[in-house]
Amino acid sequence: MLKKNLTAWIVAALFLFPVALIAYRVLALGYPLFPAAGGSSWRISMETRISRPSLGQAVLTVGLPYQRPGLTVLEEFFSSGTLGLGLTREGLNRFAIWSGEVGSEGELVTYNASVIVRRLKLRSTPPLRLMPYPPQIGEKERALLERLPLPPPTRLDNARAAIRGEWPSPAPAQEDLTAWRRFILNQGRELAIIGLLRAARLNAREVQGLRLTPSIRLRPLKFIEVWSGSEWLHLRPVSGEALAIPQEQFLRLSTGIGKGFRVSEARVDISRWEVRRRLLGDWHLHYERIRRSTRFLDKWSFFHMPRQFQETFQILLLVPIGALMISLLRNMVGFPTFGVFMPVLMALAFRTTGLAYGLGVFAFIMGAGYFMRNFLDRMHLLLVPRLSLMLTAVIALLSFVALAGNQFGIREFMAVGLLPFVILVMVIERFFVAIEEAGVRQGIQMALGSAAVAIIAYSILLWEQLQLTFFLYPELTFAVGGALLLIGRYTGYRLFELVRFKAFRSQP
Amino acid sequence: MINLFQAARELRAAGVLGMNRRNADYIMAYNPRSSFPLVDDKVMTDYVATTHGVPMPPILKVIEHNSEIEGFETTLGATREFAIKPARGAGGSGIVLVRDWNEAGFIKPSGDTIPRKEAYHHISNILSGIFSLAGQPDRAIIQSLVHPDPVFEAVSYRGVPDIRIVVYRGVPAMAMTRLPTRASDGKANLHRGAIGAGISISAGVTRNAVCRGEVVAEHPDTGNPVSGVKVPYWPEMLLAAARSFDMTGMGYLGVDQVIDRDRGPVMLELNARPGLAIQVANRIGLWGRLQQVEAAPPEAFVTAEARVAWARRTFAPAA
Repeated sequence: MLKKNLTAWIVAALFLFPVALIAYRVLALGYPLFPAAGGSSWRISMETRISRPSLGQAVLTVGLPYQRPGLTVLEEFFSSGTLGLGLTREGLNRFAIWSGEVGSEGELVTYNASVIVRRLKLRSTPPLRLMPYPPQIGEKERALLERLPLPPPTRLDNARAAIRGEWPSPAPAQEDLTAWRRFILNQGRELAIIGLLRAARLNAREVQGLRLTPSIRLRPLKFIEVWSGSEWLHLRPVSGEALAIPQEQFLRLSTGIGKGFRVSEARVDISRWEVRRRLLGDWHLHYERIRRSTRFLDKWSFFHMPRQFQETFQILLLVPIGALMISLLRNMVGFPTFGVFMPVLMALAFRTTGLAYGLGVFAFIMGAGYFMRNFLDRMHLLLVPRLSLMLTAVIALLSFVALAGNQFGIREFMAVGLLPFVILVMVIERFFVAIEEAGVRQGIQMALGSAAVAIIAYSILLWEQLQLTFFLYPELTFAVGGALLLIGRYTGYRLFELVRFKAFRSQP
Repeated sequence: MINLFQAARELRAAGVLGMNRRNADYIMAYNPRSSFPLVDDKVMTDYVATTHGVPMPPILKVIEHNSEIEGFETTLGATREFAIKPARGAGGSGIVLVRDWNEAGFIKPSGDTIPRKEAYHHISNILSGIFSLAGQPDRAIIQSLVHPDPVFEAVSYRGVPDIRIVVYRGVPAMAMTRLPTRASDGKANLHRGAIGAGISISAGVTRNAVCRGEVVAEHPDTGNPVSGVKVPYWPEMLLAAARSFDMTGMGYLGVDQVIDRDRGPVMLELNARPGLAIQVANRIGLWGRLQQVEAAPPEAFVTAEARVAWARRTFAPAA
């Protein structure tokens, strides 16, 4: 027996190795910490045609999404016609700038991207300080805005009412109201509202973006984002009412007044934004990213294997988890099962048959096999031929079930061929011996125990997020090994023993 | 959850031995793999037991090949009663008792006759390994028949009651007798409903009894009280059990003996993985006993006699 200390060191190493490797992957290689954090995948496309009455230079600037917490951008495609394309980052924004000669026949530019949005656990960050007035607002307008009365403490509510045209009392002077209306007319509602909110010492900014729901629109959605003191509120510029848009259902394109979509020296003939749901899951996302990477660990990823072999390992990597669970159930709970790994093999077989059908066929073959074995017992057959005969019987039964499935159109019955028949033979044998030696009750108990464990193992094997996690981070297998070592060293009571030895307890 | 921890604490306080600890700290730690054949194969057990002066029912014949089966009974001389056993059988499976034989076949103690052909076939099955632990080919032994001493007659239903002593590092730590019932089909098998009655190491007297996990006072078939039976030859039986350690080098064993009305106690088999029911039958935690043995002074382990003396002194009832 190894020293207790050494075992502890080995266990620690087995746990630390995957932790370190995953940390490296997350920090250095940009792997997600939670590979299957859900999220939905969307396809965004923009089409814009600009033209000029006469040939001349024109510039089109469009705010675009970029990689940030909660948002992954993959597969961007640009087409620019004869225009040149530049991409820049500027503060909170990323812009595509198309520029070049545009004539009366116009130029068509398009942008296509796939994005994945995830719900963020973090609340939005508050602004650090009160932002200055937007530069578009001159001294005169500033003085006007500061004259408009928005008494505290309900400044925000008052501002929202003012947006609707309901000024709080005392009502502003008539000439100020006229100036306000003129301001809106000349400079746009958004700028006027942001200015008004700034005058009330509230941080506000314009946001443009797309609602992530299948749709086609002529321009991105525009709203005012204002910090209420505890969260960012989204206000409709027209009515001041709050828009309830969950973070994971909105794709922000630009932040800041007039940043979203600008064209100079040309006019926009047509502009069209389309949002479509993308039916590709997390698997594809990681596949795409890792396939293109040349980093050592990425090249050694399972994602670099040919697709048809990947599936095998998706399942295979979870088998140790199934075994871990069986060790847990047997050594810490005391569940009676037939054999050690039979339930895992049953669970693997249930993948093709489905759980209900798989269990049904399992029960049927166990029952029929038991009666057959009982009968054979009276014929006094020798061991090897008898087991072979049972094997033959099991295969005959499976064939019968499959043929019946074919006749009645039950596909799941035809998939029974993959039930591990050798295991079934051994299980029938153990079932029989258990009943002979320990009685019917114990035999049935063991059969039910095996079935229960198989069901649990099955749900683990089919847990897709777990599959993805292990596929992405196969080093977690070492941690499973560490857990198995710990269970192997557990010499305490099994859960069932607490019942078995209840006579020893002071208050049973 | 708190209740579970509380329960576990109570069991630990009572010194109950759990399956995991038995396997890891006792079987794996004290029973070297290389010694298992001595325990698993009755021919080898018989050999080492004989050299250590521990009596077993004599083996009259060992059948290794199918060609030796036919007419084996005629080679036994005057002995006409015997037990047919698989050498590597476990839990009493594959055992056939024969009281006499004639033209028709073998006569069982119950009076039924097994056709000769069927008995030969049974032996052939034994050789093919049906009853052996891992299905490997086996030998059949023809052992002289045990006639149980009448001491347990009042508290058993047919069958042969046996006495199991758990021996730790050569020290008898706990004992019980297994009494067949009608429910157990006359077999001394606790799983099948036989009664397990604890026996005090110091006095060799039966006390608590359990049947299928429930405490019982009387034998369900005979109605006689199970406790208070004084086991004859108790010192000899403890000594034989203690010698199992010298015989096998195994530190954690179950020693099964029966009392023959003519020969006195004889050992039937050794078990390298004795079950935990013995502590329920005794209402005493086995782990506590094992820890007491661990704390014994070195001189207590010197000879089998010293170990028995120490155990009888130490495991005397408190009252």
